[in-house]
Amino acid sequence: MTTVALRWVHRNLFAKPFDAALSLVVIPLMAWAVYAFAYWVLVQAHWQVVGGSFKVLMTGIYPADQLWRAWFSVATICAMFGAGLGLSVRPGRAALTVVALVVTLTGVMVAVAIDAHSGMLAAGSAALGVAAWCGVHRSALDQRLALSGLLAGVVAIFVVLSPPGFDVWGGLLLSVVLTIAVSILTLSFGILLALGRQSRITSLRLISTAYIETMRSVPLILVVYWIWIIVPLLAPDTSVPGLLRGMAGFALFFAAYVAEYVRSGLQAVPKGQIEAARSLAMSSWTLNVDIVLPQALRVVVPSLVGQILDIFNGATLVFIIGLTDFLRAGQMILADPQNSGRTYEIYVFLFAVYLAIGGVITYASRRLETHLARGSR
Amino acid sequence: MTTQIVEYHSIPPARRGLLIASKWLLQAAIVIVVAGLAIWLGLAVREALARKGIQFSFGYLGNVANFSLSEGLVPSREGNWLVLELFSPTHTNLQALLAGLWNSLKVALSAIVLCTLFGTLVGVGRLSTNWLVRNLCFGLVEAIRNTPLLIQIVFWYFAVVLRFPPANVASNWFGGLLASRSGVFFPGLAISERAGVASWGLLAAAFALVAAYVVLRGLRLRLILLAAAISALIAAAFIGFPLGLDLPVATRFGARGGFAISPEMTALLLAIVVNSSAYVAEIVRGAIESLPKGQWEASASLGLSRSHTLRDIILPQVFRIVLPSLANRYISLTKDTSLGIAIGFPDLFNVYGTVSNQTGRNLEGVVIVMLTYLALSWIISGCVNGVNARVNGRRMR
Repeated sequence: MTTVALRWVHRNLFAKPFDAALSLVVIPLMAWAVYAFAYWVLVQAHWQVVGGSFKVLMTGIYPADQLWRAWFSVATICAMFGAGLGLSVRPGRAALTVVALVVTLTGVMVAVAIDAHSGMLAAGSAALGVAAWCGVHRSALDQRLALSGLLAGVVAIFVVLSPPGFDVWGGLLLSVVLTIAVSILTLSFGILLALGRQSRITSLRLISTAYIETMRSVPLILVVYWIWIIVPLLAPDTSVPGLLRGMAGFALFFAAYVAEYVRSGLQAVPKGQIEAARSLAMSSWTLNVDIVLPQALRVVVPSLVGQILDIFNGATLVFIIGLTDFLRAGQMILADPQNSGRTYEIYVFLFAVYLAIGGVITYASRRLETHLARGSR
Repeated sequence: MTTQIVEYHSIPPARRGLLIASKWLLQAAIVIVVAGLAIWLGLAVREALARKGIQFSFGYLGNVANFSLSEGLVPSREGNWLVLELFSPTHTNLQALLAGLWNSLKVALSAIVLCTLFGTLVGVGRLSTNWLVRNLCFGLVEAIRNTPLLIQIVFWYFAVVLRFPPANVASNWFGGLLASRSGVFFPGLAISERAGVASWGLLAAAFALVAAYVVLRGLRLRLILLAAAISALIAAAFIGFPLGLDLPVATRFGARGGFAISPEMTALLLAIVVNSSAYVAEIVRGAIESLPKGQWEASASLGLSRSHTLRDIILPQVFRIVLPSLANRYISLTKDTSLGIAIGFPDLFNVYGTVSNQTGRNLEGVVIVMLTYLALSWIISGCVNGVNARVNGRRMR
């Protein structure tokens, strides 16, 4: 055993003089950093601040007596995520074990941080997600049905969450709902733009290209801020909620990026496919919807999933239009003089949550890539 | 016997004309619809602004700004000379925007240089033979790429830079670098009074010689040029060196002397450099892995060490491959400087916000800012394309 370990250490850490020198520098540094961080996390940090402000972090200023609406959304999002997984990833025994562990851990942590009731609700939502994963995978639902289910889920979330008003949405819930809604909007608009850029009609091509290139060279924050400013000028009599204006800005911006991904997929479709479809006298609608797009989108699904992460990360910019997203909620808590010494606790918590969500999305994107690559040999 | 073609397929002229006409009609319809939309948008906004008593014009750019910025240089006329000076409230709105642009460029250019260096290092580190270094680099890159840039900026500002010690107790590192919560101070270059015309001349000669050394690649005796440059420098130092080091000295609220970077810029620069380095590292790693394995094997069989292979065989080829991806990274990095508004760094977007709040002129401002960012993107991709053509053109010959 020790010889195996020693051989591994020799081969991987001390193979050459340079490697040995690097190891001798890095190992003590790493050990010190890990020790200091672990000591801080376990001994010094006051995690009560996170537990005490959990509601604000997760839902912002959403009214406390309406929280069942937020829980409904959490459950729906879990189910939607599970169904999405079920379309592509097989629920293997190892994956299910890991997920079950994570679910239990989350439930226990939420229960400790707030109360047992919330912990059970969180674990129940996650279990619903796992059930959706297994169920969709078993029954091999048609993909179009899954897509309409996804749309129905988003509509349901909006309908249930909106009665207290769009202005009170906040926290992590706002970030996630914004990401989902914007992803769906950008996908449709982006596909249209990509088709426009590939079109044989010159004017359409020029306009789409100009739109895409302009959007790709200005910052997101400028677009979001500007849409937020300009909508009240265009519709002076109605008051469009800031959240919807923000969504429009995000969708207009990210559609240009989606369009570029979709275009790369369109270019990957062999020309013979289009020629064959034309020679069968297909109309251009049938040609695009039934022949070109299914093949093109299949290629770019991993990039599109990565794009969701970009949208989620970009959602932090809603602070510019006065919305309270996850990051902003954390800053609001720190603005309270009572919590002024808890900077590191809050930021480490925010980082951990962002990293967990980002890690899951990146992992899903990579799994999809290998999953889809298997089919096209 | 010959077969006669009795029937052939062609589009009759009338139908052909109809097809062409319909194609043009479609084109015209699309143009009219989009132009109509744009005009309606413009008119509606103009009308809405007119109701507020604001007319679309760029005249406000010449008005006095009446607000102050924490940093930023502006070009300003002094007699017949155009000089750079610190922005002050008596400058015009246009100069305020220019100061914002100056700040954005300052961060963007330094970040471009630094992230290329660190990114290449980390990218090579991800392929290190040392297991620990390899996985450390992987973990860092993934952690940075999977979290929002904004939280990184805010974290660097509130949790790191503002937690530096106050200037009067700040540590002095390496004889002059001073890191405090009121900014980071580097030793600067200062012109010393002892210098005469002769020493200035010698310094200029040394620079000219070094430039000649760099430009005249083909010359056999160019080592002599380098030797002459060094001797000119030594002579200049003996006569009285014209340039001296200006070390920062900590005071109660900051530091005097040296070259100062504000805390906002420190945080923004740190965040953007760290963030972009992770992306550059991925680009570099991908490029190294895309090179044919034969390159490594061939140089190994020639007895080159791994570090020599990397430096002389791999990286020069990687440099050619990565340029287009790097250009994209540089463009997004430049756009990312607009997030400085979250920590109060007066970049172009932040100044635009202030100006339009003061004057109510959003529309004109957005046109200016959009065109500026468009121009910046074009300049960056133009520069990188130029380098790309030079580098890859040489390979063709």
